[in-house]
Amino acid sequence: MQPQVNIPFSNTETIPGMTITQMMGVVTGSTVRAKNVFKDIGAALKNMAGGELKAYTELLQESRNEALYRMLVDAQARGANAVVNVRFATSSVAGGAAELLAYGTAVVVQ
Amino acid sequence: MGQPSSSNEVIRLVVLYVVLSLLIPLLPWLVSGIGTAVYQPKKKKELLQREQAFAKSSDVLSTLRKPLSGKEVKEYRLLMTNVVMSPSWIQILVGGILSLFGGEINVFTKVVDWSRREAQQRLREQAAASGYDEVINVRMETTTLSKIRGGKDKTTGIEVLAYGTGIKY
Repeated sequence: MQPQVNIPFSNTETIPGMTITQMMGVVTGSTVRAKNVFKDIGAALKNMAGGELKAYTELLQESRNEALYRMLVDAQARGANAVVNVRFATSSVAGGAAELLAYGTAVVVQ
Repeated sequence: MGQPSSSNEVIRLVVLYVVLSLLIPLLPWLVSGIGTAVYQPKKKKELLQREQAFAKSSDVLSTLRKPLSGKEVKEYRLLMTNVVMSPSWIQILVGGILSLFGGEINVFTKVVDWSRREAQQRLREQAAASGYDEVINVRMETTTLSKIRGGKDKTTGIEVLAYGTGIKY
């Protein structure tokens, strides 16, 4: 279980009801996962019938939480107390691996 | 007495062998057919019912950057949901044939549309479960989980990610 980082974050440009006093730059967090490593026989069987592949849904959810967590750790290290404008991006790396990236702007709010 | 029964048995074994050798390669396609014709419509129907339960009030999701009503926001959090959907083997086969002719590949349109609706519906449910009044600045993203070329792994799918800022008044 990951330790909690208590930094609020949102994908809007401002934090409602607060003013941004300082910008701490872009913070990123990423993780590269290959689906084949976590390949589940159940998912391969489910693929025949179509529909949701729950194993992969959960895997990607976990990975994205990990990326978010790393982003928040980065923000905390810079002394920010909020992250705004969080975006997600996914890019494929060679060999069936995918990179899950979360990035945002670390700010100090009051 | 022994002669006809043993030749009968041989014939039976040969028939069984032929039937099985035909059936076993066809079995995944059979499963795929059932999945396409029965399982997927059932799931879509369930999704429609879930959507209709939420359709009574106005939609909580919006892509606006700020809430329309100028009320004071007390609490906010980033909400995100995702779903991985895959077309069935039959749909992939039909899609492959249709893509020779170009134009709209209807079988894939349906799968993508379904997964996007599912992701949005989950976002609505998540917002309702944690008591958020509205979800603003909703963004959606699609990623393909493609099979590795030349590999034995046939599993394909698309991932739809929906995220937005949940706000409480």
